[in-house]
Formats: sequence, structure tokens, C-alpha cells
Amino acid sequence: MSAAKRIKVTIDGIEVSVPEGTSIWDAARQAGIDIPVLCHSPRLRPVGVCRMCVVDIGQRVMAASCVRLCEDGMKVDASSPKVQKHRKMLTQLLLSDYPEKSQRELKTGDDQLLALARRFGIERIPFADGAATGGRGSDSSSPVIDVDHQACILCDKCLRGCNELQHNDVITRTGKGYTARIAFDLNAPMGDSTCVSCGECMAVCPTGALTNKPVAPVGAGRRGANR
Amino acid sequence: MKAFRLDDTKSASATAALKQVDSLCPYCGVGCALTFSVDEASNRIVDVKGRDGAANAERLCVKGRYGFDYAMHPQRLTQPLIRKPGSYPKGPLSAISKSGGGARKPGGSFDYDEVLPHFREASWDEALDLAAGRLKEIRDARGGDALAGFGSAKGSNEEAYLFQKLVRAAFGTNNVDHCTRLCHASSVAALLEGIGSGAVTNVVRDIERADVAIVTGCNPTDNHPVAATFMKDAAGQGTKLIVINPRRPQIADFAAMYLQPNPGSDVALYNGMMQVMIAEDLIDRDFIARRVDGFDELREIVSHYSPERVAKLTGLPAQDIVDAARLFGRAKAAMIFWGMGISQHTFGTDNARCLIALAMITGNVGRPGTGLHPLRGQNNVQGASDAGLIPMVYPDYQSVKDPKIQTKFEKYWGVKLSPKIGLTVTEIMGAALAGSVKGMYMMGENPFLSDPDINKVRKALSALEFLVVQDIFLTETAEFADVVLPASSFMEKAGTYTNTDRRVQIGRPALTPPGAARQDWELICEISNRMGYPMKYASVEAVFDEFAACTEEYKTLNYEHLGSYGKWYPCFDPKTSPGERIVFGDAFPCGKAKLVPAQISAPNESPDRDYPFVLNTGRVLSHWHTGSMTRRSHALDTIEPEAFVEMHPDDAAALRLRDGDWARVASRRGEIQLRVRVRDRVSPGAVFIPMHFREAAANVLTNPAIDPIGKIPTFKFCAVRVTRLES
Repeated sequence: MSAAKRIKVTIDGIEVSVPEGTSIWDAARQAGIDIPVLCHSPRLRPVGVCRMCVVDIGQRVMAASCVRLCEDGMKVDASSPKVQKHRKMLTQLLLSDYPEKSQRELKTGDDQLLALARRFGIERIPFADGAATGGRGSDSSSPVIDVDHQACILCDKCLRGCNELQHNDVITRTGKGYTARIAFDLNAPMGDSTCVSCGECMAVCPTGALTNKPVAPVGAGRRGANR
Repeated sequence: MKAFRLDDTKSASATAALKQVDSLCPYCGVGCALTFSVDEASNRIVDVKGRDGAANAERLCVKGRYGFDYAMHPQRLTQPLIRKPGSYPKGPLSAISKSGGGARKPGGSFDYDEVLPHFREASWDEALDLAAGRLKEIRDARGGDALAGFGSAKGSNEEAYLFQKLVRAAFGTNNVDHCTRLCHASSVAALLEGIGSGAVTNVVRDIERADVAIVTGCNPTDNHPVAATFMKDAAGQGTKLIVINPRRPQIADFAAMYLQPNPGSDVALYNGMMQVMIAEDLIDRDFIARRVDGFDELREIVSHYSPERVAKLTGLPAQDIVDAARLFGRAKAAMIFWGMGISQHTFGTDNARCLIALAMITGNVGRPGTGLHPLRGQNNVQGASDAGLIPMVYPDYQSVKDPKIQTKFEKYWGVKLSPKIGLTVTEIMGAALAGSVKGMYMMGENPFLSDPDINKVRKALSALEFLVVQDIFLTETAEFADVVLPASSFMEKAGTYTNTDRRVQIGRPALTPPGAARQDWELICEISNRMGYPMKYASVEAVFDEFAACTEEYKTLNYEHLGSYGKWYPCFDPKTSPGERIVFGDAFPCGKAKLVPAQISAPNESPDRDYPFVLNTGRVLSHWHTGSMTRRSHALDTIEPEAFVEMHPDDAAALRLRDGDWARVASRRGEIQLRVRVRDRVSPGAVFIPMHFREAAANVLTNPAIDPIGKIPTFKFCAVRVTRLES
């Protein structure tokens, strides 16, 4: 196998040499430029659904850098006010029906959507609250994981974690429009599905949609039976 | 307008603010790296994250991610215990452990109310003086061979090394063994005989470079779940899996071929495949000429295994045997993974010999995507064996029978050693029953549930004059103890653990032990010192260094080099290299590999009119071995709270049994009562029972017959009867 051809791209004025087939997002990381992302991680196949990683490559519309491949001589603007404005708008839209209390932020303090809100200084959402007309529900049937569909941004990380990392093939999508959400098997409650509780979906979820249940308080006293 | 007050949303208990401890999963041999988030104020682990370890790439399974809370269970032992005078003569203390005590119970872990009143709390000095004093008395009066020790494959390399040193140097006997005897003893025997090394020749994740992989006698999605994810990755990218198991494992869904042979017909199947490969010239003649001895004898034996004959013996279509042989034989690179379904038979060594031969005649070892990989069960069964927790060998498999090696260790340890090969787990139980072994020290093992034929184990444990049990909970075995020493859990200690890939990794303490509980390695030293053989170490690292220095495989390693991610052994330059993923590219430790042909033999106990079913035992995803850990994990015990017997729909219908009904399962050794699960993953005539559940212990039924070479019991085959229980 011959080594891939190397090409040069310029990101925010920094020239980077990468093998052909490298995404803009990976090239930026190599150059030390942090492009925010919600639906992607280096462990997963990039799908470009959240659009948070958009960059300006001088075309009619912005490109999702996690899926757009570098081209030789490409000039990428990953941080200009125009790009930042787009990302801020996206964050506001995603937050417009986000629960006021994120289970992830409460439990482990690493909600990535709220981290972006902090980064962009968003406190108020200039849109109507989508959840005001009835939320998308929750599911606490699993012994280990809480599902809060209202905090789900449909980034499909859990689908890829379940189906492509752990190959358990449990999580899928169901519904249309505003009722679109993740589902387990043929839309069973998580606790009744074929889920094996590996927790990969929870580990890759960037928001409060899939979080661990708290470690259960222990049952009876030391001398007594366990249950 | 919706607003977020972002500064207030951060919770004080958010794990990001807690102490992060890079450590390992305490469960299986895959050896997943993880990080514990620890609330130091309450001494509790609140979260676990997968770490980018060589074996897991941040992935975890249900046990690793949710099974850590056992360490914080209120039933943890916190004070040394001494049996009260009124509780002699010794015998089982809980109803379930008494003979015929398998009452119909929906489930439940150990009941302390029944057992704890038979013990009184004692100071460390009193308990240690008593334990060491009585062991010394027995040694001095009857000789070292009247003592024995069971170590544990859940302990660290350092604990295993010190424990075998205690038994050999202070007890004066080689009667030291551990649960490897119940697990891969036969595989290791066959590997040592065939290639001169008992460890894997390649790591699990190299399956991505294999064209074909045989996955036999194992159920990796349940028992090595994270390894299974990499096998499934490979299958998705073109590696053809040949899955072989009488009980259909879930990984068969990802296989190019699934074969469901009759239980116990492995030798016939692999001989049949080799017959086809030799007849069709799908073998590597160059490799055989350069690297292998004994091919002609093998060819002679397997020539009698035509696909048609093997079809009759295995119940498989002859064409499947031919197809599997061609698929494997034509692969440029092929790996073989196996588990307890191969090893836990009275002919377990023969089964493993066949798999070794299969790899050797096709030249599938020592290159990328090739190799032999017996999947190790416990997190440190590889390391505990390497450290010499085996009756026949000192650390690094150096024979106790070789006078030169004996002299070497006599110098190293400064004491006279026994030249006599010690007894194995099953033999020690027999010797206890016969009265030749009088005193025992058990560190972290629970033979009452893990060994075959519990009724016999019960009598053997009752017959012991003196038993010290060192554990983190009261176990069924501790019911027979004179002294119980409260020890530390995995999460409370530092130590190295060697995974199934030969990767040596450091586990680091996240919690402090509860109450007066102490570090296991210190307790071993305390006993040794009191028995007149001084053991003094400044730290766990010092123990590791002493262990490493008497081995070839570990001698280049130390804690500094191992760091956060560990190294594969052998590691020739630990400063720059991660160690060797693939070994034996040029030669085997014994020079040329030795093929040992095997003939089919009959199981020790075949089904008959009275006991018409074949019982297979094993594990389920959510539980671990005797359940002393997982049944005390809230999440794991909620997922799988009770025992079951799995049987085929046709058999269930014939017995008027429906899913969820109660049944009585009996063998010639005992009987248990449990619910029925009707599943077509077992073949007609076969039943499966998991081993974890004390209230319906599968090992009441199992046959203590052992493999003559590996001395491993036949957990995968005994005859049972199933009858309906009216509700």
C-alpha cells in the first residue's frame, strides 16, 4: 500500500500538510485549532449532522468540517466573526427547547451544549420555547441509564456508539418532525429492549439526553440481607 | 424568553471536580483501562469512564461501567473475625450452604444474620497470631504438605507472588494453586507442551488483520464483552468468523459460519477439519518443515477422521466440516480464540492440542493476524499463573522438579524448598477430605461455589482442622473458617495485573479500605513473619521488582515504565517500546513446535435414561463467578437477579415446562431448584445453568472428574435430569 498523497491547506492563516482524505476538522486539530463540535468525536464515523463545526471555505454555504475533506490549496476560515455568528445561532436554536436543568450538567458537569453556551456567552434564547407546547418525554425504565428526550439534539452519537462501536444494534431513530427522537429496538422502553447496558450511548452523548442513574443508595444494613 | 443561568447549573457534586484515578476494570481478562471519579469526603466512587487503554479504546461493558459499587457495600468486612467456641464442630452456617439447602428462593445474596453471630470480632494481633500459630503448629507436627493455600486470579501479581512464596518458603510445600485450575489449566498444559509458552501469541485486537478467525468454546459478548466489540468490528470489515459452540453465542450473529456440534465432540471436529486440509493441501508445508515436529504422526491419526465419520460424531453436516476447513485453510492469516468450552472437559488438554495443531499445520502463528489466543477469564489469571500460583512451577513456569531451579530459588528466598510437586485445587479438596491436608489459607477464593460437586467440597471444608479465609465479604467458604481476615478490594489497592493479551498494567487505589480492613499483601507478610519466615517490603513496587527479577518475561519492567498504560511482555526496551504484540515469529521457546495428536474419548459421564440431559455451565453478562462481587452491585443484580436453567423449546414442551416455570434439576451428586428459560440457543438434549447463584448453585450438579493432564474439572459436561416443580 503506497502512502496517501500529501496536500496543503491553510486554516486561519496556518498552513498544514495532511494526507489526502483528511477532514478539515482533523487538519485543524493537527494545527492546534479547536473547532467546536457536538455530533463528532475521533472515536466515531463523522456524519456532519449538528453543523456546529461549520467553516467558511469561500463557497455559497458553509461546510461541516468533520465531513468535508481537505483539498490541495484550500483556504479555510474556521474562526471569523461570520463563522462564530453561525455557531452561536445554532447553539441558540439547539437550546431553544433544551431543559433548564441538564441531567449531565447536574451529574457529571460536562454538558457540551451548555459549555458552548458559555463559550458564546448565551444567556437568553430569542426564540419561542419549543417544549412549551408539550415536551418529548423521558424514559427511566433502564436500570442504569436515564433518557431525557427533551435534551436530545439528534446528533446520533448514541446510534453510532451502540451500533458501530459496541455493535449491539439497539438504538435507532423514530418519528418525524418535532416528534423525531432516538428509539430502542422497535420503539420499546429502554429497560425492555435488547440493550445490554454497556453504557456506550451514555458515554458518547454530549448533552443531558443519556446520563447514568445515580449510584443506588445501598439497601439494608450490614448484617441484614441485601434486599 | 427562555434563559439559562449558566454559572448556577454546575452542581457541586459534578464529577469533573472530583479526584480522578486512572486504574483498571476489576472483572475479566480483557483488562480495560478506566478512570474512577472519587468523592474523597464520603470515600465513594461516583462514576467510571473508559480510558484509552490498549485493550479497550475507551470502551467498557456493563460490569466495568456499573459494577463498581460492591466495594462500598455495607457488608464489607471491617474487623478480623474468630469463630466462637460454640460453633464447633465446623460446618456450613447458612441454610443455603447446608446439605439439601437449595430451597426454592427467588434469589438473594449472602445473609449475614445467619452467619455473623457464629463469629466474634478480634484485634489484628489476636487474629494474626491465631492464624499463623495454628498453621505453624500443623506444619511443625505433620510437615508442610499438611498445609495448602488457594490464591486468587483476582489479586495482583504482587499478591500472587507473595502468596506462593509464603506457601513454598514458610509453609514448606508446593500445595498452592488458584482458579486457573478451573479455567485454562488444560490450555496452558497443551501450550507449554506444544510451543513452550502458556501465554497468548497475539493480542485480541490484531483480529482486525486476520482473514479468518475461529471463535470456539467461548461466548465473548457475555464473558469478554469489550474484546467481542473488536471481533465484531473485524467481522464488519471482512474478517470471516467461524463460531463454534454447542450453545449459540450472540457473536454467531456476526459469523460467516456457525457450527453447533454435539457437546464434547471437539476433538472429532478439529481432527476432521485437519483431515480435509491435509487431503486438499491447504497446509503450509514450508512452515511445517521449518517450525514443527510430529506432523507425520498427526497426519496418520487425523486420516481416520473423514468428514462423513466426523459428521456422525459431531452431529454436523459433513459439508459444514469441509467448508470450515477450506475457509480456515485458505486464509492468508487466521487466528484462533477459545474459552472454557474447550478447556473444561476431561479431555480439555486434547481439545487444546487440536487447536494448536490447526494453527501449526497452516502456519498461522507469529505473523500479523495470526495466533493462538485462549481468552483468559479473570483480570489476572495470566499474571497469577506467571507469578507461580501453580503447584508444579515457581514464577515464570520454572519447574519445581528441576534441582537446579530449586537451588536457584532456595538461594533467592534463603530457605530450603520442597522438591515435591504440589496438589492442585481439586486434589487439595480430595486430600482435605482424606485427612492428609489439615490446614488451609484461602486468599480471595470461594471454592464452595466455584469447585465441582459442592457436596464433596462441603465435607472437605468441614474436615479441615484449621482454615483461614482472607476476603472482602463473608463468603460461603468463610462459613467453614476458624479465622476471617478482612482484606482490601481492587479499588483500594495498588498492584499490577496482566491481561489476556500479556499486557501488564497498574491498578491504582481509588478508595481507602473500610474499618480495620488491610492490604492483602501486608497480611501475607504478617502471617509469614509470625511463622518464622520474615517478609519485609517497603512497598508494592518492591515486591514487583523482586518478582520481576526472577523471571525472563517481566525482568525489564518496573512501575515507572509501566506508567498509566502498561506494557506487553516481553518488552525488550521498556523506555521506547510498548512491548511485543505478536510473539514467536522466528522460533518457539521450545524450538520447534511439537504436535500432539489426539483421539476422541468419551465423556466421564454420558446421558442415560435416568439423567438424559447434558448440563453445560457458564456465566452471564451481568455476573461474575461466585457472585460475591456482582450480586452486591445494585445495577448488576437488578439486571440479572436470579438463577435459571436454559432449555430447548422441544425439550421444555415434552416436560410441560413453560418459560418462567420452576424446575428441579438433579445429577448423581445433588439437586437444585430454579426457573426455566425456554431458548432455542441450546440444542435439544442440552441444558445450560450459570454458576453464579448460591441458592441454585450449578456446581451442586457438576462432576468432579478431571482432565488427567491439566487437572481441570469437566464443568461443561455432566448428565442431569430435569423435572417440573408444581407451584
